[in-house]
Amino acid sequence: MNRKKENLFGYIFISPWIIGFLALTLGPLLFSLYGSFTNYNVVSRMDFVGLDNYQNLFTNDNLFWVSLYNTFYFVIFSVPLTTILAILISTMMNQNIPGMRVFRTIYYLPAILSGVGVYLLWMQLLDPSTGLVNQFLALFGIDGPNWLFDPDWAKPSLIFMKLWSAGGSMLLYLAAMQGIPKTFYEAAQIDGATRVQMFFKITLPMVSPIIFFDIVTSTIGSFQIFQEAYVMSADNAGAPENSLLFFNLYMWIRAFNLFDMGYAMAMSWILFVIVLLLTLLNFWLSKRWVHYEGD
Amino acid sequence: MKKIFFLVFLSTVILGACGGFTTGDSDSSSDSGGSEGAEAQDEKIVLDFWTFWGSEQRRPVIDQIITDFNDSQDEIEVQHTYTPWGDIWTKNLAAIAAGDPPDVIINDIMTVKLRAEEGQIEPITEYVDEEVTGRFYDQMMDAATHDDEVYALPFNTDTQILFYNKDLFEEAGLDPEQPPETWEELDEYAGQLDVQEGDTYERIGFYPLIGAGTDVWILNALGENYLQEDGEVLVDTEPVHEAFNWILDSQEKYGQNQITSVNSQFENAQQDPFMAGDVAMMVQNANYYVQLRDFAEDLNFGVAPIPEREPGNGNTSWGGGFVAEVPMGASNPEASYEFIEYLTNYDAQLYWAEQNFDLVAHEEAGVSAAESGEFTDAGREVYTQMIENMDNTLLTPQPVIAPDYAGTANPIFESIVSGNTDVESGLENAQSELEQLVEDNR
Repeated sequence: MNRKKENLFGYIFISPWIIGFLALTLGPLLFSLYGSFTNYNVVSRMDFVGLDNYQNLFTNDNLFWVSLYNTFYFVIFSVPLTTILAILISTMMNQNIPGMRVFRTIYYLPAILSGVGVYLLWMQLLDPSTGLVNQFLALFGIDGPNWLFDPDWAKPSLIFMKLWSAGGSMLLYLAAMQGIPKTFYEAAQIDGATRVQMFFKITLPMVSPIIFFDIVTSTIGSFQIFQEAYVMSADNAGAPENSLLFFNLYMWIRAFNLFDMGYAMAMSWILFVIVLLLTLLNFWLSKRWVHYEGD
Repeated sequence: MKKIFFLVFLSTVILGACGGFTTGDSDSSSDSGGSEGAEAQDEKIVLDFWTFWGSEQRRPVIDQIITDFNDSQDEIEVQHTYTPWGDIWTKNLAAIAAGDPPDVIINDIMTVKLRAEEGQIEPITEYVDEEVTGRFYDQMMDAATHDDEVYALPFNTDTQILFYNKDLFEEAGLDPEQPPETWEELDEYAGQLDVQEGDTYERIGFYPLIGAGTDVWILNALGENYLQEDGEVLVDTEPVHEAFNWILDSQEKYGQNQITSVNSQFENAQQDPFMAGDVAMMVQNANYYVQLRDFAEDLNFGVAPIPEREPGNGNTSWGGGFVAEVPMGASNPEASYEFIEYLTNYDAQLYWAEQNFDLVAHEEAGVSAAESGEFTDAGREVYTQMIENMDNTLLTPQPVIAPDYAGTANPIFESIVSGNTDVESGLENAQSELEQLVEDNR
């Protein structure tokens, strides 16, 4: 009886999301699934073409593979680096030092500033000759790279830039770290554990659910990288030498410059499957390293 | 009991919210219909005109032209909707799909054929007469025509020309009234204008890829686009090889780092190397004059056609531009056309040209603008050069056979210039990739 009521309330509480999903997301989602089997061009054409789009993507489209490679490259470096940095920052921010609030604010600030304005700022910072980054390097006699203008440096530039906003997930880690009972550390101290040991044996396992959450969401988010490349590549299309042609950017070009919407829809479903598989893999792996309290 | 109250309360809130949306919507729609309908709409056709001209400079000019049109007759009322550059064409696409497009829109001339092929534009062939099609530069009218149907009328264009610093010419003992005419002369003059300090250059005489891109030089070398409308590919050819070798020779002379540094100074617009005298000659979009006029009043510069690859090859240049067109499904194409015709008539085009220093599609209006009292002497000289240069200027509309050809070719060209690929194998590769692309799309 009570249980039933509880369920009902549960559904009511999540109903805004469910209604939103059914009314606003599910329809377009299914439409794009169907569209991926057609030559849909948005305004005048939608003939069923079977698996043609998928076949062309896999067998006959270099740019598809280039964009997939670029995207994987970005995800593989960006996700671990930002996660590690976020944990490091939050460990530092978790100290009991006067003025810590100010530092926390400073480190969190970049997470509030986002979007095109920040990318334009970074384009100035990364400018090969007048940018602050290279001028700073020059102080040490280092001849800085051409960053966004060099195909070998363009992706690292973006990964480097993304590190700047690691403070965003710091907030989650910090909250989790402050929730760890002091008694754990006191017990460890009595047993003679070092600070490093405490970090690896207590802090990390205790925040592992947050690490897991952070890795899953930032992996999904990183696969969708678009704005950065669209704004920061010189021709808005992945220059130099297609080094910034990420999956979603290529999909966008297909959809809105070439009006190959059906093709782009097929691309979006391929990305969906990739991300789904990786997320499932993450969940499966999580059993080995994520510790939930009470387990 | 409390829980039930809460439940009732919650559902009322949700229902109220939903109800609120519906009433709100119907209210606003009847509002807008009412206010316009009562007075003007009964007799007048209202047209929604989308442009991306929202700047302090351009908006008053286009608004004035619209007002003039509205005052010139009493059947049509044009309303201007400014839609930002980043959104306008995707919004247009969505609006066409939704069946409620703008009545007239300013769009890219390079993609008219593609949009026509995809069914996004209403053909206006039945309204156009010879007086109208005769107004424009032929290459622009060609770009606005697809399969013998006219889909748009050209509005404005641009062209690439050579800018050179006359004071530096004199300083180097060159005649400021004799700009270089061939690539060979360009190199020769550049050698005289260079100022070398140890390993680096204090002044760059001329480097082809400052201001212009490889595509301009390929076009200049070939005298036609490297992908023809029928799908023929001309990349792996003698003139294109020559163009890349010439660019690379010049790059070797100055060094890649110096080039990157100069180009990034242009890009971030903090200090313009041409205005500062660090670059003596460059090929640029002629509209660059406006920046010189506004920010480098004292700079003594000259303009000339792009030098030719060899005598007799032609000073081929590249241009783009915008058209006015009627999106598919617009409610009254005939009225839309009437406005487009007005936008591209002599008076409107001359007004636009004079107020914006912009090269208009209307040939005669351009000729008049070149003598306009609104411009300074330098302005008139540049505008005259722009008009004359239209004889050399090609447009490269995206061919329907392979609209994404540049996406395939540009990365290969970039990799040749950056030295990651040599000219021979790069061009061979580009040739076969493009041929494959055309083949796949046939």
